[in-house]
Amino acid sequence: MTGIDATSVMYIIEIIIGGLLVAIGVHFVPVGGAPAAMAQATGVGTGTVQLAAGSGLTGLLAAGLMMKMTDNIILIVASGAVGAMIMIDATMLVGNWVYIFGVGTPPASAKVNYDPITKLPQPPYMAPGTVGQGIPTVCYVSGTIGGLLGGAGGSLIYFALLSINGNPGLSGIFAIGIFLVNAVLASWNIQGTIEGFHDTKFKRWPRVVQAALLASAIIGVMAVMITGGA
Amino acid sequence: MSAAAGGGALSKVEPMKLRIYGVVGGLVGIYLATFLGPMTGNWTSFIAALGVIPAVVLGANSVRRVCSYGIGTGVPSIGMLALGMGIVAAMFGLAIGGVIGPILGTAIAMGFGYLIGLITNKAIKFNIPVMEEGTMDLGGAGAITLLGLSVAISGSADYAAIQMSVIATGYIAVVFIAGSLAILHPFNANLGPDETQDRTLTHAISTAALAVVATGICGIGTIGLPSALTVIVGFLVWIVYFKKFFQLVKRDAAGVVGTGLLPPSAQ
Amino acid sequence: MDAFSMGLLAAMGALATVAGASEDIESDVGSQSNPNSQVQLAAQVGFPHRIYNKAISGEPPSNALWCAVAAGTAMVLIEKFAMPALLSIALGAAVAALFNGVFSTTAYMGRNASQARFNQYVFLDVLRTHTTTIMAHAWITAFCITCISYIMAYVLPMTHPFPMPLIAMIWGLAVGAIGSSTGDVHYGAEREFQNTAFGAGLNTMDSGHIVREAEAGVRSSIDNAWFCAKFGGPATGMAFGLTVFLDNWRATIFDPATQGVLVVATGIVIVIILNIYNKMLENYARKKYGPYPEYKGDIEA
Repeated sequence: MTGIDATSVMYIIEIIIGGLLVAIGVHFVPVGGAPAAMAQATGVGTGTVQLAAGSGLTGLLAAGLMMKMTDNIILIVASGAVGAMIMIDATMLVGNWVYIFGVGTPPASAKVNYDPITKLPQPPYMAPGTVGQGIPTVCYVSGTIGGLLGGAGGSLIYFALLSINGNPGLSGIFAIGIFLVNAVLASWNIQGTIEGFHDTKFKRWPRVVQAALLASAIIGVMAVMITGGA
Repeated sequence: MSAAAGGGALSKVEPMKLRIYGVVGGLVGIYLATFLGPMTGNWTSFIAALGVIPAVVLGANSVRRVCSYGIGTGVPSIGMLALGMGIVAAMFGLAIGGVIGPILGTAIAMGFGYLIGLITNKAIKFNIPVMEEGTMDLGGAGAITLLGLSVAISGSADYAAIQMSVIATGYIAVVFIAGSLAILHPFNANLGPDETQDRTLTHAISTAALAVVATGICGIGTIGLPSALTVIVGFLVWIVYFKKFFQLVKRDAAGVVGTGLLPPSAQ
Repeated sequence: MDAFSMGLLAAMGALATVAGASEDIESDVGSQSNPNSQVQLAAQVGFPHRIYNKAISGEPPSNALWCAVAAGTAMVLIEKFAMPALLSIALGAAVAALFNGVFSTTAYMGRNASQARFNQYVFLDVLRTHTTTIMAHAWITAFCITCISYIMAYVLPMTHPFPMPLIAMIWGLAVGAIGSSTGDVHYGAEREFQNTAFGAGLNTMDSGHIVREAEAGVRSSIDNAWFCAKFGGPATGMAFGLTVFLDNWRATIFDPATQGVLVVATGIVIVIILNIYNKMLENYARKKYGPYPEYKGDIEA
């Protein structure tokens, strides 16, 4: 077991920042939950934790490979972020293919009258009896940012852990555990569905900062004291 | 991720009793396997895996209690939260605890779970009465599941041994996800207005037995033939409780029929 | 970058595409995840049905379980018994398929038993005919993903530091998340409510009114899978194939040890291209379909 000293404190801070990035990143990912799978609401038709975990952990894989080759923290975190972004972008794009060609609906957001990025009007394109459908540009960009933050957060946590205990398998499963705790807290904060940074629910993000800060700090202190083993 | 169960779920088994069975049963299993292991050449490692079953029942019941209040997100998130909380706390307890490692790990996981429940009620403003108790039980169930199944694969609760045979090989991933699903599947699979606690918990025992079988298979790679006993014991427990589950399904369902056209609508 | 790595990469992309397609069909035959909420609702609003109500948590954790179990079993066979890799992976996938069969069966029986008051029966012939199809598709998914994990952990010149079961679990989570987001929409919004007009999502008034009568006879989940295999399944395959391929392609054409910046830069360029393509797609859809005639508000289309 290693004690707590100056370098450990730095790693604990990295784990806390990573946890915060994950928790806040979840607020950017456009998830419509069960209604979105029936083209009844805007966003990707899945659960928040599921998509965040899928993309963040894909980023973790990319970061893991990069960290085997180099020590540069910026490259590793960037690699993880890009891996997560590619996964979430490919998912949202094919999701849009299905919404547009399979179900026959144009993407439309229900939370704003004009898309903040493209300035296109939204309400005329919302099917009657629904709360939007598909993934309009603002949601897509928001999702990309969410992937960036989630992937970066997961990779930062992995970087800190691997630097301490030198064991990729151990660091990998710990990173997954810490990632999931933060993602679930964030998903409870948004009550399961959110359209992205333009959604009014997005303003709730300060609430999760306290929760994620505390949870990641405690886990971080425990994790840095565990060595890589025999 | 579907319509919530109606109202507060009925409970015929006291949560405190389940908590004691789960935590004590799991720890007893772990310690028995660790102490008897060297004497019997690891043929007793299946006891650690069996001890996980009451812990899974504890976890499944907590899922039932917390989710009955309608937390807005799906049931799966809670299962993954349990194991996420459990893994770091359990490994931490093992790494610094020595002989009392498993007890320490479980205690820390339960404390951390309680804290998460507190944060959720206060900072995220859920205000669910049983939240703190529920997440505390989930943390404990997660930690014991991880510890018990890892000991069954490695043969002892010594941190270095677990490091080498469970984490370095990657079997921890199998333990993690099998345990997570064992805790969250029973309530999710029996979700509905006519859900009954005894059916859900019987289902929990049979799903936990499947996790034991998966652990046993992985254990064949590390401790060899003695792990085959884990597979066989798990399989037997599964068959017995799966049949019991089917009897309870026949008791509860509107009809269990060989074939048929659409049933008449109840309205 | 060498021919061997590129060949392996192409194989991984192809395996991923097949895995994505089979994962989606498996969740369509079993009606898993989000569209299943409508199947659950159907009985409650007075429409009992013969659809396979397979409620095994979300797709990511359940697919992670099949893939992790398959990879764990394969690794035991490869490392301990020195069996050939392909055979071990096939046997591992068979174990995973058996697990899937048990979970699916108990989910169907449990959910339907908990809807007794709505007269929803447990049909044993639905169990008999559909569970094997579900298991077969789960076998394909587990086999392909375990192959990908095996290649990443053992065969590539630049092996991945994570152990094989951990890689398999992560890809299982990813394929579940992708299948849940893409192919399930084709099932949930289109096939499940095929009696409503094409071109709109589910109107809240129609919630629970799933199609229960098929092209001939009573609709079963295999009818749903037949339809979704024409578009939803392959689309999911493309999404997962793109993810696996693009993610690993960057690290193959540029050496991460010396050209790390180029690896990241390529990824950023890909992300930008995808964003631009999505915007073009959105414009195309709006122009092609036009606004809804029922819209009576003041905002100009």
